Amino acid sequence: MLKYLRISIRALVLVFVFGLLHYVLPQHDVARITSTEVIRMDFSSFNRLFFAQSDSGSTELSTRDMRLINTERRKTMLLGFIPRQSQGVMVYRNEDTGWIWPPYFKFDSSDLQATASANMSAPGAEQWVVITHYGWRNRFFTIYPNAIGIRPVDGPDVRVIPWFNIFFFAFVIFAYFFIRAMWRQFRERSVDPVLQDVGETYDRIGDQAEETRGRVRRWLDSWRSKPRR
Amino acid sequence: MGLLRLVVFGFLALSVIYLAVWFYSRSVRREKLEKKWDAQHPDGGDIEARKAYIDQGMKDYHAGIRPKLILLIYVIPAVLVIGTLIVTNWN
Repeated sequence: MLKYLRISIRALVLVFVFGLLHYVLPQHDVARITSTEVIRMDFSSFNRLFFAQSDSGSTELSTRDMRLINTERRKTMLLGFIPRQSQGVMVYRNEDTGWIWPPYFKFDSSDLQATASANMSAPGAEQWVVITHYGWRNRFFTIYPNAIGIRPVDGPDVRVIPWFNIFFFAFVIFAYFFIRAMWRQFRERSVDPVLQDVGETYDRIGDQAEETRGRVRRWLDSWRSKPRR
Repeated sequence: MGLLRLVVFGFLALSVIYLAVWFYSRSVRREKLEKKWDAQHPDGGDIEARKAYIDQGMKDYHAGIRPKLILLIYVIPAVLVIGTLIVTNWN
């Protein structure tokens, strides 16, 4: 029972971490921009979580306009790294992330919108672009991935090397082993000697208690009635 | 305001990491010194001399460049933030 509980909690943590990374890490889409637009968003308390912030110089209100980029993109697999041949529409939002979260430090939403407009194209005369983005598209909750960068490319069959993600995961592995080494050093040098001390003290107290109890018992026994002769 | 928040909380978080690495590095160095002494003195040697040897080794360590390199924990994230800022907003 406890084992299942432990496995379930671990699985939940794993799913949560995977989801978080999948949401926050940058991904690249090859797409053709069909149009750009601005809509007014009235956030609910739930889908507000999946939006960043108003333009960094402006104030934050519960309702605001938001820039969207409509595209037709090549579908991808595996965190967006492996292109497939099929196409589908995708809508990106284009918001400042500002100083805090996620840490893209994006302040140039207006410029990005201009870049998007400059690279609009019609079928037959496609101008393909690589859109760097993070986030998810979900129709039920009305959330969009946030476009971070737009780069025109020659054709739809470009190979994008996800340098940031490579370095990020290399760093995560490094950090894991480093923290493990730190923890082991801490245990070996700081926790274990103390525990050993505590253990020895505990044993001594135990011995003393045993002795005291023996004495008390002997005294109590002396009050017992003696077997009748 | 956002920048201020980033600086304050970033500084606090990095300070925690800095202290942890500072203690870790010191602990590793002390353990190395102890092991070196024990290897040279299989019988254990004089306890006072051992203590003096380790104290001197730790003093040399603190005078060296290694503890200063730990300050990179503050420098590298700052450089990364500025780098990201430039790369993201470059037009």
